[in-house]
Amino acid sequence: MTNYGLVIDQERCIGCQACAVSCKQENNVPMGQFWNRVLTEGGDKMDTPSGGYPEDGGSGALDMQYQPTACQHCENAPCVKVCPVNATYTRDDGIVEIDYDKCIGCRYCMAACPYNARVFNWDEPEHMPEAGTGDVAARPQGVVEKCTFCSHRVDEGLDPACVVNCPADARIFGDLDDEGSTVSKYINEYETDQLLEDRGTNPKTHYISGEMSPGRPQTSDKMESELDDVSPWSDGAEDVPAEAGESDSSGSGGSHHSIEGDAAPHVPAVGSGGDD
Amino acid sequence: MAADSSRIAIPAFGTKGKLWLGLLASLMVAGLAAWGYQLTTGLVATGMRNVFSWGLYIMMFVLFVGLSAGGLIISSAPKFFHSHRYEGFARLGVLVSLACITVAGLLILPDIGRPERLYQFFTSPDFRSPMVWDFGIVILYGVLNLWYLWLLTRRDLAARGSPLALDVDDTDAGRERDRTLMFWTAALALPTAVALHSVTGWIFATQIGRGDWFSPLVAPVFIAKALVSGLGLLLVVSILADRLTNYEVNREELTSLGKLLGIFLALHVVYLLAAERLPHAWANHFEFWAITESFLIGESVYFWLWTVVGGAVPLVMLMIPSLRKRVSVIFTASLLAVFGTMFEGIRLVFTGYEVANINLPPGISLGGEYAGITTGIWATAGAYTPTLVEVVVTLGIVAFGALIVTLGLKYVPIQRVDGQYATDGGTQERQ
Repeated sequence: MTNYGLVIDQERCIGCQACAVSCKQENNVPMGQFWNRVLTEGGDKMDTPSGGYPEDGGSGALDMQYQPTACQHCENAPCVKVCPVNATYTRDDGIVEIDYDKCIGCRYCMAACPYNARVFNWDEPEHMPEAGTGDVAARPQGVVEKCTFCSHRVDEGLDPACVVNCPADARIFGDLDDEGSTVSKYINEYETDQLLEDRGTNPKTHYISGEMSPGRPQTSDKMESELDDVSPWSDGAEDVPAEAGESDSSGSGGSHHSIEGDAAPHVPAVGSGGDD
Repeated sequence: MAADSSRIAIPAFGTKGKLWLGLLASLMVAGLAAWGYQLTTGLVATGMRNVFSWGLYIMMFVLFVGLSAGGLIISSAPKFFHSHRYEGFARLGVLVSLACITVAGLLILPDIGRPERLYQFFTSPDFRSPMVWDFGIVILYGVLNLWYLWLLTRRDLAARGSPLALDVDDTDAGRERDRTLMFWTAALALPTAVALHSVTGWIFATQIGRGDWFSPLVAPVFIAKALVSGLGLLLVVSILADRLTNYEVNREELTSLGKLLGIFLALHVVYLLAAERLPHAWANHFEFWAITESFLIGESVYFWLWTVVGGAVPLVMLMIPSLRKRVSVIFTASLLAVFGTMFEGIRLVFTGYEVANINLPPGISLGGEYAGITTGIWATAGAYTPTLVEVVVTLGIVAFGALIVTLGLKYVPIQRVDGQYATDGGTQERQ
C-alpha cells in the first residue's frame, strides 16, 4: 500500500516562505487564510531569534529555527474521527482530505486538530487572482479547508507544490510504506520528530533536526516513485536522477532545479550539518 | 366532573400575558432576522475565527442541554420508584425540559456553516463521531419529552375536550394503563438523560487537542452540572409560574427540592471540581502552599462567576435551614446556580481555545479580521467576544423556548388538583 508522508528538514529550511506562498497559489487559498505556515521558533515575532546579542555582557546565545506547519496527515487523525458526516476522510494512500460538497461547516474538526491546521471560510472566499488556478476544487463559504498534500498533483505523479518549490530542498515527499523511498530512509537515518507526539495522532509529517540531511534528491517535478528506475541511493551519493529537464513542459515550467548537468543535491558532503 | 381534577395555569392571556408574548415574538423575529443576516454574510458576522472556532452558540448549547435535565429527572425518578413525590412539579418539569432541549437543538443551527446540508447526518453518518451520537440523543430526548408530556396529560386533555388529546378517551382503565406506560417511559427517560449529558460531555472529553477538554471527568461533571442547573431552572420557573399564573407550588416540596439543589451543588461545585483540580495542582507545584493556592485559586473571571456566584453563595443559602424555607431565598439561589452554570460552559470552551498548542509567531491565520481578537490576520492565542448578531440570534432561540413554556401553561393542564397527589389543593387560586 502507498502511504504518503512528508519529511521536512528543519536544518535545511531557510524560512523563505516559498512553501507557504506556493501552497497559497497552487490551491487558491483564500485571502486571510493559510494552509501552510512557516513559524519561527525563537523570538516573539516572526524571523526573530531568542537570546541576546554578544554585546554589553549579553550571552550571545541567539537561537532561531523555522517550523513549517501544515496539516500533518495523521495516521490517527482526530479530525477524521470527529467529522459527523464523513466529509473529512483518509484516502487509501494516506492523505487526509475533505469532501467540500459534504462538509456541513460544524467545525468540530477544527476543535479536534491539535495543530490548528484547518481554516474555515467565514465569508465568501476571496482569491488572488480571482479565478484561481482551476486545478483544485472550489471551496464555498461555510466549509472547512486545509492542506491536501496537493492530492491533485500527487494523482498526476507530481510532488506537492511546497516540495517542488522549496529552494533549500528541505521538503521531501514520498511513500512511507516503501522502505526504499527517501522519506523512509531519512526517517531511519536522521533524528526525526513528529509534532505533538504525545497526543498520539501519529502524523505522517516528520521533522529532521540536529544533523542536516542531503535534502530532496531529485530535481524533477515528478514524485520519486515516478522517476524511471532511479534510486538515488543505489550506487552511492553520485547516482542521482538525471532527467531534470524532462518535466519542465508540464506546466510549472521554470523550476529552480534546471541546472544543466548538475542535478545533485546542493549540499556539501560534510556529515556534521549546520547548526543554524 | 373529570375536568375539575386538573388545572390550566393560564386560562387566558391578560394584558401582561399579551405583552410577554409580544416581547417573545419580537425577540424571535429579531433573532430570525439576525440569523438571516448571518446566513448571507457568513459566520464572519460572529466573533468566531480560526483560532477560536466555537463560540456563544456552543456555550449556550452546553448550558441548555444541561438545563433540560432537571425537569425530566424530577418527574420521572419518582415515577420509576412508584412514588408520588414532587408530583406537583412533574408536568411543569417535563414542559421545561422539552423547551430547553428544543432551544439546545436549535442553537446548533446558526453554528453550522452550511445548515442546508444537515441531512448528511442521516445519509452519511460516521459513527465514530461523538457529534453523531449527540445529534441522535438530542432528537431522541426531545421526542421522549414530548411523548412524556403528552402521556402525563392526555387523559386530562381528553376530559377537557382538548384536541391535543388526539382522540384519546378519559377512562379509568386508560388512566390505569397510562400509569404503567409512565413507569416504562420513566425507566427509559432516566438512562436517556444520563446518556444525553455524558455524550455532550464526550464531545469535548474525547479531544486531545484542546487542553483540559481531554479529561475523563468531563462526562460526570456534565451530569452534575445538569442536575444543578436543570433543577435550578425548574425551581425558578415554578416559583415564577406560582406568582404569575394559576400554577401552585407546594411549599414543602419546594423546600425539599431546594435542599436537593444544595446537595447537587455540593457534589458539583465542591466535590467534582476539587477532584478535577487537585491532581493538576499537586503535580504542577512543589511547596505545600503553592499546591494549595493552585488548587483553590481559579484562572479566570468565569471560574469565579461559576464557583462563587453560582456555587458557594447559593450553597450557603440552601444550607442554612432557616433561610432555605423562604421562597425568595430558594428563588435567588436557583437563579444564581443557573447563572453560574452558564459560566462553566463558557469557561470550558475558553480553556480549549485560549492557548494554542503551537503558538509560534506569526501564529494561526484568522480567516477574517475581527477587532475582538486582533487587528491583523494572525493570532498566537485565542480570544473571543460574541458579536451583537450572535447575542440576538441566541436570545431569539431562548425566547422560542420561553414561548413553548408559556403556551404549555396555556394549553396543557399542568397540575392535578385532586387530593390524591400532594398539591396544596386548599389554597385558593390566584389570578
